[in-house]
Amino acid sequence: MDILLTLILLLPLAGGVINACFGKRLPRPVPVFIACGSVIGSFLAALGSFTLATGDGYRLVLFTWLKSGNFQADVGLLFDPLAAIMTLMVTGVASLIHLYAAGYMEDDSDQVRFFALLNLFVFAMLTIVLADNLLLLFLGWEGVGFCSYGLIGFWYRKTENADAGRKAFIVTRIGDLFFAVALLWLFTLFGTISIEGINAQVAGLDMTTVTLLSLLLLVGACGKSAQLPLMSWLPDAMAGPTPVSALIHAATMVTAGVYLLCRMFPLVSLSPTAMAAIALVGIATALYAATCALAQNEIKRVLAYSTMSQVGYMFLAVGLGSVSAAMFHLITHAFFKALLFMAAGCVINLAGHENDIRRMGGMRQRSPLVFWLFIAGLLCLAGAPLTSGFFSKDLILATAFAQGDIFHQGLYALGVMTALLTSFYCFRLAYLVFGGDYRGDELPDEPNGLMLWPLLPLALLGLGAGLLNLPHLFAGGSWLSSWLEREQDVLHLAIATEYLLIGTAVAVFVLGWLLAALRYRRYVQRPASITGKFLLNGWRADDLFDLLLVRPFKKIGRFCSQGVEIGLIDGVLSGTVRQCNGLGIRLRGLGAGKVSLYLQGLVWGFVVIVGWFLLRALI
Amino acid sequence: MAIDFPLLSFLLFTPLAGALVCLFIGVGNSVAPRWVALLTAGGVFVVSLLLCLQQPPTAGWLLYEDYRWIEQFGIRYTLGLDGISAVLILLTAFLQVLAVLVSWRQERAPGVYFALLLVLEMAAFGVLLALDLILFYLFWELMLIPMFFLIGVWGYQRRFQAAVKFFLYTLVGSLCLLLAVISLYLLHGDQTGTYTFALEALKQTELSTTQELVFFLCFMAAFAVKVPLFPFHSWLPDAHAEGPAAGSVDLAGLLLKTGVYGMIRFAFPLFPVAAQKTLPLLAGLALVGLFYAAWVAYQLVDIKRIVAFSSISHMGFVILGLAAWNQTAWEGSLLLMVNHAITTAGLFAVVAMIEQRTGTRSLDQLGGLWKSHPNMSAFFLLFCMASLGLPGLANFAGEILILIGVFTVKPLWAVIAVGGILFSATYTLRLVQGTLWGGNCEPHDKQDLHSREWLVLVPLAVLVVALGCYPQPVLDLLREPLSALLLVGGMP
Repeated sequence: MDILLTLILLLPLAGGVINACFGKRLPRPVPVFIACGSVIGSFLAALGSFTLATGDGYRLVLFTWLKSGNFQADVGLLFDPLAAIMTLMVTGVASLIHLYAAGYMEDDSDQVRFFALLNLFVFAMLTIVLADNLLLLFLGWEGVGFCSYGLIGFWYRKTENADAGRKAFIVTRIGDLFFAVALLWLFTLFGTISIEGINAQVAGLDMTTVTLLSLLLLVGACGKSAQLPLMSWLPDAMAGPTPVSALIHAATMVTAGVYLLCRMFPLVSLSPTAMAAIALVGIATALYAATCALAQNEIKRVLAYSTMSQVGYMFLAVGLGSVSAAMFHLITHAFFKALLFMAAGCVINLAGHENDIRRMGGMRQRSPLVFWLFIAGLLCLAGAPLTSGFFSKDLILATAFAQGDIFHQGLYALGVMTALLTSFYCFRLAYLVFGGDYRGDELPDEPNGLMLWPLLPLALLGLGAGLLNLPHLFAGGSWLSSWLEREQDVLHLAIATEYLLIGTAVAVFVLGWLLAALRYRRYVQRPASITGKFLLNGWRADDLFDLLLVRPFKKIGRFCSQGVEIGLIDGVLSGTVRQCNGLGIRLRGLGAGKVSLYLQGLVWGFVVIVGWFLLRALI
Repeated sequence: MAIDFPLLSFLLFTPLAGALVCLFIGVGNSVAPRWVALLTAGGVFVVSLLLCLQQPPTAGWLLYEDYRWIEQFGIRYTLGLDGISAVLILLTAFLQVLAVLVSWRQERAPGVYFALLLVLEMAAFGVLLALDLILFYLFWELMLIPMFFLIGVWGYQRRFQAAVKFFLYTLVGSLCLLLAVISLYLLHGDQTGTYTFALEALKQTELSTTQELVFFLCFMAAFAVKVPLFPFHSWLPDAHAEGPAAGSVDLAGLLLKTGVYGMIRFAFPLFPVAAQKTLPLLAGLALVGLFYAAWVAYQLVDIKRIVAFSSISHMGFVILGLAAWNQTAWEGSLLLMVNHAITTAGLFAVVAMIEQRTGTRSLDQLGGLWKSHPNMSAFFLLFCMASLGLPGLANFAGEILILIGVFTVKPLWAVIAVGGILFSATYTLRLVQGTLWGGNCEPHDKQDLHSREWLVLVPLAVLVVALGCYPQPVLDLLREPLSALLLVGGMP
């Protein structure tokens, strides 16, 4: 069993390393086989070891990474129910995305680099999931950052792409700093960085420390999960190839923050302040991103903002104290969002590599299959009754509602509001892309089979994953909650309340649809309003950051390199040199061979010496 | 191994012998010197590797040699090897092989050139082994001379200014050191009646607080310039920018290390009380340098200068670890020093290859090299990622140990230093972007790496990964000697 568990991590790593080092020497389809095979193998290994994960989980230490003084970091795995379900999701979705990518990148001359990075990404993500200590988790955490940097800027010849990659790296690294500080602090407090060890000892801490630590972890999570205020990298990250958007910026990496908070839940949940902060960040991001999604023109940017918004829901769930609601939504979202992104890739191909939805339309005629797949994803996202998104989102909102106090009622109200916006922008997208007639003039580029059939299982999963955690009202047993041993997350509401909540959810869905239908059923070209532009630019957050962070940073840099380095340090140095030179020149003047000067010196010297002795004799 | 075979002296004088052979054989023959240099450096490397592998990590001297030398003044020829010097000697020997390979095609007076490289290696060995202060000072000064000529003769246009700047800077520091050494010698002689320059004996000298502080600052002046510690760094970027590629590899890999070595071997143990008192100052300068150098690096366009400033920034990290004065931080500092040497040597090597192919080092003119030179670019990316502290690669292992060690004593310092991780990302990614991505550069030489370049880069890359994932062998060698040195000062 140990070997199987190790293989989960090792296979993607080996695949990535082999492709990175030798991929270019291998004949054409072999690197793709290695890449896909290793991830599928990893998925099978995860399936095989699934039964290990019961109770407190299975621990496996491979070797000691760093040991110094009383600090020790192992390369150790912790396979508990939370990690197991996450591993299955990551490897499963990643396998399908790899297959899709094999089709998508078929003609790219640089596909070896692509698959090497993709494999390494899966490895890094699994490291986050399986790590039994925070330092190893941090390795994965930074590893996904690097891989996403390389993949966002994959088509590096265009400077915008490389810029987007760099932005993602730096913005998420701001969050990483906070995570790193939390790690250092936790080690100093407990003398260990083992996740289990920390979680077992947190009860003894005082409240201020717990709150501060939790907030540090929250900011760290915000960076990777693109939550306010570290969210601005995600929309730009759409510059990467579509499979990358599906894997990294929808299904896995952006959920790493949620996973971290779930992993450290015993610590985080101790502080009501921190929990409220998590919930507030979540709902604020959900609402913010939903408004931005209303105005986007590029299909992938709509989806990017919707991802941000849905991850906001997950944060909300963590803040409400419901790990299983967060994980439920995380899993269902991974299915339908991966489906949506990959279907969007097909749509973009069908529209002749056009991203702009204003130049699409009529795509339903071009490919009914893509249409139905995309609609399946959109229905889940919009929360259509009985789809997985409906159940998982409903659980979060119901949990907020069930807490009863005014703060949580407010969260619920904002959550419903976000759901309305979500339904609206989903159907806006559907009408603009699929409805009416084709508005562009490009010839379609048919997606090949490999790009289509991985979407079918995802569509089924997206529609049906509600079964994972079906509530009692629908005769389900809340399997996920009991698997995660979080029975306290199962809601026991009055039947009337439950119907009320479900009724509201359905009503919101229908209302959003109707509003979108009214506005977008017929395509009318509209000049962009001021609000529209404001939303299109993500509330102009980039300008704000530019003003607050980037420009001061550059200004100080200029001050250092011009003012201090050249002005001050070199100035002082060359000043000293000049002084020495000047002194030397004057001294040289003395020795220039003027006999009269020498005689003067002789006389004056004589006078001084004689004077000195005279003075001494007199006194 | 035979005990009475003077292995350390053998190690010390082999490069000198090689240098002499290079000099004589180099007259009228431009190919032979490089082979002699390679064989010498390679042989020395193999010997030092065997030395490290055979030694069990213990606290005392692994090897020790002590002979009479100039008895009138109590000067002895004393060499000692412990875990710390073993690690640094191995590093030096390894990098020196690469330095020879990097300058393989040296056409301008190759005999002298390679002889100087070997003399430099010998001087660095001497610094790392000497336990007599005069002997140490001798080697310390000897390092200056080959470096001066390497920069001044084989460098770029402004090479002479750079060489003079380097020479004067380090000389001023060294003179302070010499003054302090002689005063300490006289003081100790007056107290005890035995006049000696032996390190162990001088540690016992009774000093007033002021005396100790003055001596300590004199010692530190020499070492801080070499490290280089902000604000004594301004010779380094010029020396790198104007010096030849092998010179940069040696500067980053050998010379900078001797500064830190001098601190932990001489300055701290000789004057522990003064050291303790000035730790906050040291930490302050280290932190300022860490950010300052990063900020400057972000503004520059010359890629060699950017790497030079990144070097200063990383050395700030190293010094910060020393200032924390505990086991974890010190192990981290020395580990980072080793790892930084390897990473930076890699960076300088690739920078030289880029310049050979494009004829420029300016970020404004470079770009898109991944397209034309994918292998070279991949190595560059790897070294850059190591340099910005990506976990799993070399530098991170040292940095995290430093941060942990610092946090346990001074959380605020550590929190500030964590910000440095972000700063290194800003300038390093700018460097990567300006060279590898985009696409406005047309290199005149389309050839990707050739076999000699593979030979240089592959070992470095393997080490970058190996030391990042499994640095234990190095840490094991360092552990006992460092804890012995730490005990001298006592915990703050």
